[in-house]
Amino acid sequence: MHSSKKLAFTSLLLFLSLVLSACGDATTSAPASAPTAAQAGAATTAAQAGAATTAAQAGAATTAAAAGGPKVELTMSIWAGVDEAKEFQAIIDGINAKSTTYKVSVQASPQEYVTKLQTGLASGTAADLFWVDIDHLSGFADKGSLLDLTPMLKADKSHPAGNLDDYFPGAIAAGTYKDKIYGLPWIQQPLVLYVNLDMFKAANVSPPTAEWTWDDFQKAALKLTVDGSGKTADDPAFDVKTAKQWGFTSNGTDWPPTMMYIWQAGGQTITPDFKSSPIDSPEAVKAAQWYTDLINKSRVSPTASQIKDQGFDTMFLNGKVAMFIGGAADSLETREGMKGQAQAFLVPKGPAGNRQTPAYIAFTAINAKAKNKDVAYAAMADITDGIQKWKVPVPRKSLSTKEAIQKAQPKRPAGSIDTIIAALPDAKAAPVFPGYAQWADIWSTQFIDPLFRGKDTAANLSKKVRPQLEETLPK
Amino acid sequence: MVGDPIADYLPTFIRFLLLAAAVIGISIGVHYVLRKVFHVRREVAIGYSLITPWILGFLTFSAVPLVSTFALSFTDYNLQQTPSLVGVKNYDTLINKDVNFWPSIRLTILYSVISVPISVFFSLMLALLLSKKLRFIGVYRVLYYLPSIVPAVAVVLLWRWIFNPDVGLLNTALSPIFNLTGQSPPDWFGDENWVLPAFIIMSFWTALGNNMVILLGSRKGVATDLYEAASIDGANTFTKFLKITVPMMTPAIFFLIVVEFASAMQLFTPAAFARATPAAGRFMNLLIYTYGFQQSRMGYATALAVILFLLILAATIILFRSQARWVYYEGQEK
Repeated sequence: MHSSKKLAFTSLLLFLSLVLSACGDATTSAPASAPTAAQAGAATTAAQAGAATTAAQAGAATTAAAAGGPKVELTMSIWAGVDEAKEFQAIIDGINAKSTTYKVSVQASPQEYVTKLQTGLASGTAADLFWVDIDHLSGFADKGSLLDLTPMLKADKSHPAGNLDDYFPGAIAAGTYKDKIYGLPWIQQPLVLYVNLDMFKAANVSPPTAEWTWDDFQKAALKLTVDGSGKTADDPAFDVKTAKQWGFTSNGTDWPPTMMYIWQAGGQTITPDFKSSPIDSPEAVKAAQWYTDLINKSRVSPTASQIKDQGFDTMFLNGKVAMFIGGAADSLETREGMKGQAQAFLVPKGPAGNRQTPAYIAFTAINAKAKNKDVAYAAMADITDGIQKWKVPVPRKSLSTKEAIQKAQPKRPAGSIDTIIAALPDAKAAPVFPGYAQWADIWSTQFIDPLFRGKDTAANLSKKVRPQLEETLPK
Repeated sequence: MVGDPIADYLPTFIRFLLLAAAVIGISIGVHYVLRKVFHVRREVAIGYSLITPWILGFLTFSAVPLVSTFALSFTDYNLQQTPSLVGVKNYDTLINKDVNFWPSIRLTILYSVISVPISVFFSLMLALLLSKKLRFIGVYRVLYYLPSIVPAVAVVLLWRWIFNPDVGLLNTALSPIFNLTGQSPPDWFGDENWVLPAFIIMSFWTALGNNMVILLGSRKGVATDLYEAASIDGANTFTKFLKITVPMMTPAIFFLIVVEFASAMQLFTPAAFARATPAAGRFMNLLIYTYGFQQSRMGYATALAVILFLLILAATIILFRSQARWVYYEGQEK
């Protein structure tokens, strides 16, 4: 009897400790309280203008919400950092305030977003809606993690973001896998050439024109790279060790992407049918070698360690680098601390006469396991519309006007906005397939790394690496 | 961000309660079965019932994942779909086709084989120095231990600056030598020939403090009468060190070698944050992460994890087999 009491007492202690540990967890994981009306009021005008849905719009939903019951709670995960997430929350607050059918709560995970998303999808705890980029969409679709949006989009007559005719075809194609649409694109970002006009003026170099070629670009970069004694990189006496200003910048780990130069030279990294990776074609070899020589031989870019040390785009903002290739949405020319007057220009034309750039495309998608699919679709369409009025540039024709971009980013110079609009037709989705991460890893570690460290020529490396890349392509 | 925190947490809280009740129920059940069915003594039954929660935890969180890892290594598994059996294909591809596999094995083994003896040797020397009765010895011990409590990511960021080829502390300090010899300073993380030395130096700095504390404890535990007896027999300081100090500290040295080797083979954080050139190879744990979480090839990654496990197991067996030759346990019978 005595030992039974001991056992009972020990069991009670164990029970209490487990309960206490459970309570401890609760205090840390409790979500924040619901947004107030005041917070909702802070939502952007754009979001308020066109994003919210009505009960009638979500009429397809057969939930209690549509019948006047409580709103359906939806979750959404995004990769935004602190500031971006704050802006996005304002949009969501506006949408939530207007919707009578759903309430969306946002989970922002700027670090390891994809890893968290795929782990959540595997364990069944992923959000109902989430952001997914072009690199990962087909992979998730292939695994059955994304909801097929095709029938809903075809039936949709009420949401502006659900009108497929308003999109650039390339963006919708990028969100399509095996003839089914899995993601609604909200950004299609071409690459542009950011130029510090003050540095150009000081070096007596004319700003880029629409006819600029690789050669023109290289000549300007040489003139704009200056050493400690004022000599430029096109002077044989130029001393790279004392360089204090550079014409261009490349981080040596494939930014700007080598793929862009290969396309501009008329080559391909992956064929459209995903059957081969012809990186050893004369065009591809010429482009990769030209790009490497620009960095390693012309010495117009800071070293990789200087870039790691001082920050990639920071060197452009600080006026140490005259030209920087970045996303059109980066808006470097309006960033705080930008030294000198800057503007976005079109990237130079390659030997094939085109200026194609890889487009960064991001989508809103729905979890295939979302419980209220119709409500989730209505929310996704509203939210995507809100994002499209916030981000620049978006893949919708009606929003890719000078006025719309100027409204979304009022501080941007008119010249930059013209550039963004002109760059859009040349923005091309990268060829991505479900196992693309494996291809990209080999591309980066076996081709780009040794190429930019000067270990071998593009011709030799491409011959060696092509079979390795093709081994990863869909069989 | 939405909802009532208490209401939101309630289902989880109820699950916790049910889990706790279930564990307690199983513990009581174990006690009952042992007493009534197997007629074991009351103390034994109570003991088993009290360790039941731990055994359940071990089975759930250690044993099952371990067995699952072996099973998954024979499958094609992408985290979201049901694993499909592929036999030994993952192992075959790794060993015969994967361009990253052998460089990874080479780098990981070389790093472990070189860094562990170096760090244990210098930790031993440091422990002997810090065992002396000096003024402010406590301050010295704290100073040498400090690197061990710095977060691993902060250590890597610090060393990235130290190893910076242009403005780093190390190359600046070594610049007179490079100027004399006419060589260019090394790009520690950017040149494949310098990646391994860079990681070894970095690991040495961080491991020194931890190892030193263990060895200092061991040194302090050596009985002083052994030294007195040796002095009477005319032994000098070096002989005492060689014949008494080192043999008496071998259990601690052995422990450190085993633990440090397993830890070195599983190096991850410095490898992930140092951003060294992949031309030197990638540490096995980093490669497992790349395959598993960045490429969603979980079956393939687990095959690599099994190979890493087998390598560590083999090294541990060899070390344990060797201890009879060089590790001295006080009071053991030969």
